[in-house]
Amino acid sequence: MQNYFMGLVLAAAALSFSPNTFSQTAQHAAAAKAHSVSAQPDFSGVWFMPEYHRTLLPKEDPPFQPWAEALLKKRDVENNTSDPDTGPDPIERCIPPGVPRIMLQPFPWEIVHAKDRVLMIFEYQALTRQIFMDGRGHPKDLEPTYMGHSIGKYEGDTLVIDTIGFNDKTWLDPMGLPHSDALHVVERIRRVDHDTLQVDYTIDDPKAYTKPWTAQRIFNLKPDWEIKEYVCAENNEVK
Amino acid sequence: MNNNRVIATALAMCVLLISVPLFAHHSGSAFDQEHSVTLKGTVASFEWSNPHVFIGLDVKDDKGEVEQWRIEANSPNMLTRVGWKKDMIKEGDQLAVTGFLAKTGRKIMRLHSLTLANGQQFDGEGFK
Repeated sequence: MQNYFMGLVLAAAALSFSPNTFSQTAQHAAAAKAHSVSAQPDFSGVWFMPEYHRTLLPKEDPPFQPWAEALLKKRDVENNTSDPDTGPDPIERCIPPGVPRIMLQPFPWEIVHAKDRVLMIFEYQALTRQIFMDGRGHPKDLEPTYMGHSIGKYEGDTLVIDTIGFNDKTWLDPMGLPHSDALHVVERIRRVDHDTLQVDYTIDDPKAYTKPWTAQRIFNLKPDWEIKEYVCAENNEVK
Repeated sequence: MNNNRVIATALAMCVLLISVPLFAHHSGSAFDQEHSVTLKGTVASFEWSNPHVFIGLDVKDDKGEVEQWRIEANSPNMLTRVGWKKDMIKEGDQLAVTGFLAKTGRKIMRLHSLTLANGQQFDGEGFK
């Protein structure tokens, strides 16, 4: 009987506390969910530039090393005097455009959030970038590649991507801005509004530029578009 | 006279300021994009291919001689987004094409817009 009484007391105590406990739990869950939403923004969708520009649109004049400025001038002359079939631009021979130029090509690209990775699927040349989001660093002794090695993290509503490990065979933009194998690109991607993506680029390449410099691009959501097939090499007239 | 010159200058600036998207594959610098040109001719060939759709166009020059032009449009993925179809152009069709000519003088045009014989117009760059 005494046990029964104690049981009633404990049950009453549990009931009297439980609404408060439930409320606190619900609040924590809501807070956690809100935190989760703000910590991991969702950029899923097909994105496309509102207008095409032939330059990366740096916010200030890129602080060239002398050789880089001379090379840009040489490429400008070649661009403007060459035959359409024998231009100097590497992408005319189906070479990958590298980063950030892949995002400057006038073709759409899609962001896919995968487990521990963000994938960018580019219609141009059917290229894919994978950005590792699991906290890993860049491997030591990276062999150089066209598209580099990318790791990322979220800072509030912004996806921050850090990419290194490039070769020096690509141009930073269609005008021919040079870079070296020391190129380090940081991209900060955030939604200005639901349909507008802003990407801020920091170009850090001490071999080609005397200090880091920045540029910005805007992309629009294309909810009715899907990534289509593009095959650079099928009928490439460039010799 | 002065008014005419002002108007002409204003018109010229408007032409220069019009934002014309460029192709991705062949460098835009190889074409004179400050002056658009319209050609009318007969389709000799039509290639629905990557990375450019090619139209071979026979165009009569001032002396009545036939010149063979290569008209480069954008790629099928972009052109289908603005309504192009693989079978919309056939050999023998009459076409009017407006675009930019190669700076080297070769008979190559990068297509900006296209008008079929039935009057239908198509964007040649696929950006809209």
